Amino acid sequence: MPTDNTTNNKTTRRNLFRKGGLAAGAAVVTGTAATLAAKGRSDGTVWQIDPEKCIQCGNCATYCVLDPSAVTCVHALKLCGYCDLCFAYFSPGFEPEAGIEAPAVESQLCPTEAIKRRWIEGPHYEYTIDEELCIGCGKCIKGCNNFGNGSLFLQVMHDRCVNCNECSIAEACPSDAFQRVPANHPYLLKGEDH
Amino acid sequence: MAQWKPSGLGPEFTYDLSELKKVDPALIHYEQAASVPTGMMKPKAIAVGADRRLFVAGDGGVRVFDPAGKPVLQFETGGEPHCIALGKTGTVYVGMKDHVEVYDASGKRAAAWKGLGERAYVTSLAVGEADVFVADAGNRVLLRYDTSGKLLKRIGEEDAAKHAPGLVVPSPYFDVALGPEGMLWLVNPGRRRVECYTYDGAFRFAWGKFSMKVEGFCGCCNPTHLAIDADGNFITSEKGLPRVKVHDDEGNFKSVVAAPADFADGTVGLDLAVDAKGRILVLDPKRRAVRIFVKKRS
Repeated sequence: MPTDNTTNNKTTRRNLFRKGGLAAGAAVVTGTAATLAAKGRSDGTVWQIDPEKCIQCGNCATYCVLDPSAVTCVHALKLCGYCDLCFAYFSPGFEPEAGIEAPAVESQLCPTEAIKRRWIEGPHYEYTIDEELCIGCGKCIKGCNNFGNGSLFLQVMHDRCVNCNECSIAEACPSDAFQRVPANHPYLLKGEDH
Repeated sequence: MAQWKPSGLGPEFTYDLSELKKVDPALIHYEQAASVPTGMMKPKAIAVGADRRLFVAGDGGVRVFDPAGKPVLQFETGGEPHCIALGKTGTVYVGMKDHVEVYDASGKRAAAWKGLGERAYVTSLAVGEADVFVADAGNRVLLRYDTSGKLLKRIGEEDAAKHAPGLVVPSPYFDVALGPEGMLWLVNPGRRRVECYTYDGAFRFAWGKFSMKVEGFCGCCNPTHLAIDADGNFITSEKGLPRVKVHDDEGNFKSVVAAPADFADGTVGLDLAVDAKGRILVLDPKRRAVRIFVKKRS
């Protein structure tokens, strides 16, 4: 993904994962390395969530010193099944008698309607996260882990995180999922080796 | 590790499947009669022979148990097995990620078939009189071989000229089974149904529908596994709502073998087999055991 460092070196939450997937994550690392180095502690580290340890307790949404939280959901499109009936998108009790093209709000799992979908072809849909709406509650991730491939996960977004020495989410994390990672490699993305 | 602190989020942020996991007890016609510990960390697949010997694949090999559950044979495979099926002469076919390995009844490797490429992800095998069917979830295709490993047919691929839409396989669960008269059945998981094909790859018919309710197949892609008993009844397992059910030979829901309450949270990969006595064998990877279900007497 091209990054125009000459005109806008700041990666916004809106464009950070606009296209979803892992390529976007890689661009973030490139585009914000200098900023992160400045934010990082003297040991050159920043906070990040280990997706394999995260249990989606909801604390990321409410314990961050920022409002909305610096944590948001990320989608690894490489792992996604592009299903027509995605139960990270639909609420578990959804029955598609009335079709699936324009589901009612109450049929959607996300309380803030942060998951968007668009038809690709056949029974395949692409799902993306609206970072402006996502509060990092992790509810969709539970749906994805339970019924799907686990392609959704939470990450600390480093265009927002102020990298507190004592991260209040990390203190409230019941699964030790918060950890320090190198500032020049600040994301722990699913479906990639790090 | 931090003490548990409540998030303070409202009830609309709670993810709750408890109501969907409930099953009317009157629909559960089976009960567990026995359990065979596999002794494996990651058991992946099971098969049962005509002599009711149980074959379990996982942890880089195969373990064989007699009908009483006593281990009688163990052998290593050339990697991590994904699936297993038995030929009538005692031949053991083991599906690895991208190829099939063949072993004789003593566990000696007889052949390793040609690899299926980088994208391959073999998930299931079915063995007939002269054919071996290999389900490749990665390439979304069912492959028909002869018993020597010669590829005869590719089944289920998209073909615009024949108005064939192709199989929808969103996750690494794609099962194949042969019915009592050799009918070829495979799961089309993304369409939540079971489909019948001729050996030449012609689609015949299908059954199954999406529903979180017990008579349907739940979630984005189910059933994950399929077995067929001697009367042609279909036994299926699902993920998301882990449950094992029986449908009759026309696909009509009959009963529940094991309900979500019978499995630990997050259980997935419930491989199935039916033995010569009609008992339903369910691989429970969380318990690392093969659980054997029989019809309730009442």
